[in-house]
Amino acid sequence: MRSDRLKIVFVLCLAFVTSGGKYFESKVAQLIRDETEDIKCFVEGKKDFTCFWEEEDGTNYSQDNYTFTYTYMNENKMDCAVSSLFLLSSNRSVFFCKLPKALFFTSLDVQVLRDGQMLYNRSLSVENILLTDPPRNVTVWSSGKEGQLNVSWLPPAVKYIDDSLIYEVRYAMEESHMGKVEETKASTMLVLRGLQPDTRYKVWVRVKPDGVSYKGYWSSWTSPVIAVTPPGSMDPLIVLLVVFIILILCLLSMTVILSHHKFLLKKLWPDIPTPEHKFPGLFTVYKGDFKEWMSQNSGNMWARSVHMYTEELPSPLEVLSEVSLSPLDERKLVQDEDQRSDSGLTEPPHWLMEQLRALQENPESLSRSTLLQSHDTYITLNHSSGGQREEDVFEETLPLQTLFTSAGTSSLNASHSDLGSLRQSSGSGRLSSQSSFEDPNHPWSPKGPGYAYMAVADSGVSMDYSPMSSSRIIEIGKRGFYANEYKNEIFGYKWPFSGQHVQSGY
Amino acid sequence: MFHGSGLFALLLMVLEWTCPGLSSPLRPICDLRVLDHFIKEAWDAEAAMRACKDDCSIATNVTVPLTRVDFEVWEAMNIEEQAQEVQSGLHLLNEAIGSLQISNQTEVLQSHIDASIRNIASIRQVLRSLSIPEYVTPTSSGEDKETQKISSISELFQVHVNFLRGKARLLLANAPVCHQGVS
Repeated sequence: MRSDRLKIVFVLCLAFVTSGGKYFESKVAQLIRDETEDIKCFVEGKKDFTCFWEEEDGTNYSQDNYTFTYTYMNENKMDCAVSSLFLLSSNRSVFFCKLPKALFFTSLDVQVLRDGQMLYNRSLSVENILLTDPPRNVTVWSSGKEGQLNVSWLPPAVKYIDDSLIYEVRYAMEESHMGKVEETKASTMLVLRGLQPDTRYKVWVRVKPDGVSYKGYWSSWTSPVIAVTPPGSMDPLIVLLVVFIILILCLLSMTVILSHHKFLLKKLWPDIPTPEHKFPGLFTVYKGDFKEWMSQNSGNMWARSVHMYTEELPSPLEVLSEVSLSPLDERKLVQDEDQRSDSGLTEPPHWLMEQLRALQENPESLSRSTLLQSHDTYITLNHSSGGQREEDVFEETLPLQTLFTSAGTSSLNASHSDLGSLRQSSGSGRLSSQSSFEDPNHPWSPKGPGYAYMAVADSGVSMDYSPMSSSRIIEIGKRGFYANEYKNEIFGYKWPFSGQHVQSGY
Repeated sequence: MFHGSGLFALLLMVLEWTCPGLSSPLRPICDLRVLDHFIKEAWDAEAAMRACKDDCSIATNVTVPLTRVDFEVWEAMNIEEQAQEVQSGLHLLNEAIGSLQISNQTEVLQSHIDASIRNIASIRQVLRSLSIPEYVTPTSSGEDKETQKISSISELFQVHVNFLRGKARLLLANAPVCHQGVS
């Protein structure tokens, strides 16, 4: 009974010894890859010293064919029992020997003999062939800082050597095969920096002697440990920089706006053109009283204001008939004037009628005016004492005529001079009214000198000759109306006209 | 290959100020990086001597300590025995390397020899700071078991570096003064 138990214990121990530690087979496989010597040896700690060699290709030798001997300096040669191991990873067999005694810091000679013949030999030092187990208890955690992970581990359980080890940490994103490696000496903790936020990372660690007291091979990598980096947050420095840049841009734009505010204001909010600069003092001194302003100003001022309207050249208007209006008509006439006129005239109608009558009494005075000498334009109106025929109503001419008379000869002279310029300009045109009458039997024709002539500059006066406006004329006195297409053509009466037609766009 | 560190320079300043025989206790130097620095310089000397063959022979054999370390045997020794073994070994190495200064050597080799002598003295100071017993001349006339005879300078410096890496480092790493308070 007892002998059986002892045998069982012995077999178990032998199996444990021969099988080596947990990583024995992987270490053998690793040295097969990395070690070039025929006899590959490694020591796992202060003991567990193993030497092995691969089976020869094409041969079928067993472990009994081999003999392994070792000789420490200043000591005798010793034999070591040879065992075999079949590697599943490489589908090959290796023969190995676990030396019972490991003496460090001294020279060692090992030999392999096959059937008594020297096969391999090697001289080495045990402290230079360390191949420890990988580090233990690898832990990876996040400290909360963005892009960082903390890694810590325990050194392999090797006495006397654990204070002269260096470590290598490899890390990569979980789905990636490309990783980075960082080395650390004499420390079992490392902080990984520069990682992407909110990403899963795999971390491996391996160990090797530092080469000062002990030398050896890199251990195998530990099993990967996965950890997640904390989610990213806005870097306060970046936020501060962005705010700072925005402030600077705002200051710059404000500076530009303030320095060019007049120009920008003119572009974005242009001033409404006013004729004030052409009528100096009209609105400031005379409060818009044009009559008063005219009376105080010279003819040159009038000529300059006339020049404003280059498109609509002034033209003398010859009034050949007089309109006698009923009070109703007068009221409606005034309404039309107010609606259509933009000359700013605010004279009462009765004053106009007086002026008109005065003019009618002295038509020769006007006919003798220098304006007629120009004869640039004229509009003749038919006179009807009975009011049976259509009356040519040119109500707009009334205030204009009054304008001319009140201003006196000087204004007429001014207009003459202006018209004189018209003569020379090619912009002369003809003011005519092509009208259709209800009574076609009475064609419109200029009358004799018995009628009043009036030169008018129809600038600045809105004249609406649309059919709508002509309908109003019908309402006024049921007189003749102009359902006309007004063409503002200025031309010289006795001078050849240029034929240039200027459309009245009122 | 290996460069001096600021720590080593500071250590040398401290050690040179301290005269031997003073009763004032030294601060324990438990940092193994000090010894590692000496070991690195010993590696440099060993590499330099390995390259030199013809010019690096010595006339007579010298006695140097054995450098082999069997951990099971070492663990079985007490601190005094370990100290004695290390101190006697340092003594032998000091004498052996010191004897080379007499013979004519190249300037490079002479610098290595001088550095080794200084390093051995520094290691003795470190051991003294750790309250390691001093070397005691053996009363017995018999040869020390832990010695060997060598005949070349390259072997001498190989023994030198191996001794520092092995026994000297083990003694410093396990000095009782450095492990006080550690359960």
